[in-house]
This record gives sequence, C-alpha cells and structure tokens, in this order.
Amino acid sequence: MLVCFGYSQSSFAQLERKLATESQEVDLIFHAPRHINLLTVEPLDEKTLHFAIMHTFGTLDGGIQNLFGLDNGAVIQFSFEYALHRNFSLGMSRQSRDKMYNLYGRYHLLKQTQDDQMPISLSFMGAAGVNTSNYQFLQEDNPNFADRSSFAFQLMAARRFSDKISLQVSPMMAYFVDPNPIFLVQGDQNLYLALGFSGKYKISGKSSLTMQWIPNLNNDLRNNLGLGIDLEAGGHVFQMYFVTSQLLNEQYLLAGGNGTPGEQFRLGFNVNRVFATGKRKSNW
Amino acid sequence: MRFLYIFLFCFIFFFLAEKGIAQEYLTERGKVLFISKAPMSEFTGESSQLQGLIDMDKNLLDFYLDLNTLKTGIGLRDRHMRENYLETKKFPFAEFTGQIQEIPDLKTGETVEVKAKGRFKIHGVEREIDVPGTIKKKSNNELALKAEFKVLLGDYNIAIPKVMFYELAEEQIVKIDAVLKIK
Repeated sequence: MLVCFGYSQSSFAQLERKLATESQEVDLIFHAPRHINLLTVEPLDEKTLHFAIMHTFGTLDGGIQNLFGLDNGAVIQFSFEYALHRNFSLGMSRQSRDKMYNLYGRYHLLKQTQDDQMPISLSFMGAAGVNTSNYQFLQEDNPNFADRSSFAFQLMAARRFSDKISLQVSPMMAYFVDPNPIFLVQGDQNLYLALGFSGKYKISGKSSLTMQWIPNLNNDLRNNLGLGIDLEAGGHVFQMYFVTSQLLNEQYLLAGGNGTPGEQFRLGFNVNRVFATGKRKSNW
Repeated sequence: MRFLYIFLFCFIFFFLAEKGIAQEYLTERGKVLFISKAPMSEFTGESSQLQGLIDMDKNLLDFYLDLNTLKTGIGLRDRHMRENYLETKKFPFAEFTGQIQEIPDLKTGETVEVKAKGRFKIHGVEREIDVPGTIKKKSNNELALKAEFKVLLGDYNIAIPKVMFYELAEEQIVKIDAVLKIK
C-alpha cells in the first residue's frame, strides 16, 4: 500500500526546474567593446550603435606644472560601431593624430557559455585606414592614397574565468603600405606583429580594474603597458587609465611607439555609450 | 486473496490518478510581464517561457520562469539585470508553488476570479504571497489564467541600482497570462 501511495505522491510533484537554454552565453566578459586601447570580444546587440570617444594626454613627467600632461593637448579618437547582426558589426573611427580614418569590422565567431561547452569567446577584427593629413608642402613627394593606407588584423580570444576575472589574448598585426617618415609614428617597418593581453578584475557591480600589455614581436619598439579602471555610470562606461602609448588607432598603436612605463605614463580616458535603434516587439 | 485486493486497489487508484479524474493542465509558454514604474522612467520586461502546472484535483499550482529569458528591450540592461541584480547564475528561477483558496466550479466559457496562496521564490528568498487572478475554462481541455501581483525588490534582497541610465522602481508589477492545456 505504501508503495502505492508513494507512487501516486509523485504525480502531486512540482514541475522539474529546467533552464530554457542549456548553454547560456556568458555575459559581460568586458564592460564594453573597447578596453583601454584594444577592441574586445564584447558583442553589440543587433541594431545598436556603440559610440566611443577616446583620449590620451601628454606624459605625466611634466608634473603639476603641465597638469600631469593635460596641458599638452590630447590625441582624440571617435569611433562609431553599428551591429548589423548579433555577431557582426561595422565601424568607423577617426584619430586626430595624422587625421587617420579607419573602417573596421568585428565578427564574433564563438561565444563562451556558462556550462563551458564553449570555454572561450573568439572574435576577429579587420581594419583598413587612411592618413588624411595635408602633405602638399612635400610637392611631388606628397604620398598618394595607396601610400597613405594601412591595415590591421586582430584575433581576440577571451574567457571570463570567474565572476571577477576576465582575460583576453589578441594576436595583432598592422601593415603600412609605405611607412613614410613624415607619419607621426616611431616605427619604420611595413609590418608590425604584437600580442595583446587585456585583463579585467571586477571590484564591484559597476567597476573593474583593468590592464593591458602589448609586447611587440618583430621590432625593437617599446611595449605598450596600460593600467586603469572601468566605471559604469548612467549608461556610460568610463575607462580611465595610465598608458604608455599616445596613439589610439589600431595600426598606429603598434607602430607608434611607447614611453617608459612609470615615468612616461600618460593619462587616458574613454567614454563608451550604446544606443539602441529600431523598435522592439512586444507580446502584450 | 488479500494481495489481489491490494493489487486491484492500486490498479484502480493509479488508473484514476492518471486518467479518470486527473486534471493536470500544463503550459510551457506562458507570458510574464513585469513593469517597473519609477518617477523618471518606466520600462517593462517580458518572457513567454513561463512553465506552469495547475492540478485542479490535488489543488496544486506550480509555476516557474527561467529569469534568463526576461527581455527588457535593451541588451545591456538585460545583462546588468542578470549579472548585478537578479544574479541569475546563482538564482536562475522565479518560482511559485501554492494552492487556490476556493476551488471554483468551472463552466466552459466562464471567467471566475480566484485567489492563490503560496510561496514565491526569487533571488534565493522565499516568501508567502497571495495572488489574485482569473481562470477561464476555454474548453474541456484548456484553461486560461491571468494574474497580477506586486513584488517589492527589498523583500527579496535585490539591490536597486543608484546611478544608472534606467531608474528601477522598488515595487515591480508582475502580470501573468497563460493558457494551460490538459496533460
């Protein structure tokens, strides 16, 4: 009899709790599509526009006299990136130094899942840019459009290791068609290879400590080092950091050269904002 | 002989429980809407993956929602909601298990008001709540359920964001709309 009731009891039972998706994607590996100088694996939702304004100032070693480099003026880059699909976005950026325009795309190949079915997120970035500075004073040596062009490619592999820690490794390359000495970079090669490391350590719901290190692989330029903090407030992600590179464009970042970490750090900050476009459908 | 009686009893009991008088209604795609009405900004979130069971015989109501399926229309807000407020990695479900206080006599096509009493659990906190709603017997094998109740975020230890681009109301209105079919 007991077995009898035991069995019938089971039909009184509640529904079994099951997740709607077994392999839930990991959210917010980084706070924004940008992290100090580098692009990240962080995707944008379809039909959203990401706007970033990025600045770096002069070196800190001028002290209070130069207000820690703020007096030296900033290199500024604006970037707009629009997601055509949840895995693909197209962007355009403009850096003030050398009036550099870049067109770029990001494609998200893999996304890390909570059950580790997919242990990493993997994205790809390609960019083509042109230096639009006025070099007419060079007369016949004035570089043509092709000579002013440069390209960048980057693979981004990231993992959120825990609630607090995320890391990204980014093999990067930049190619200058003609590395003219008139360009405001330190390198004189066509091809630059580097390995970017980005890290995030979450310290509260809305802030994280950030770092980046970009060792160069095929040249003697100084390596890029950055340390900072990301703060989310009012729908913006503010990124404030100390960094050794003054340049912001992907190609220029690898060719531009860096100061000495510690002594020639610069202050920099990015503001990230996402705008949703298009209407959402409601079932109500 | 006694065994045979027991066997027969069991058999009949099972039979009745499973087929004859069982009235288990189920849904896997009930709709849930929450409304956050803060002074400066109002927004809603919704999901149509509410899982539910109404057992008229045993007077059992059992509903749960995978909170990861809630969408507010802004992806970043959803991600913040999951990560910082609902903490869905730790507490993926909102659950309600309870009973109808007075079981109504349902006639096809008629809508009756009912009150459910039970335990609501979200963000790891469980509380006794009353939920008023209506049940309509749409046909012999379909029930339509509508309900509305309020959730005070503080009751469930859900933090309210201070400096965000959306203001979150302390009191969230939750609406449920589901059609349940007989098993």
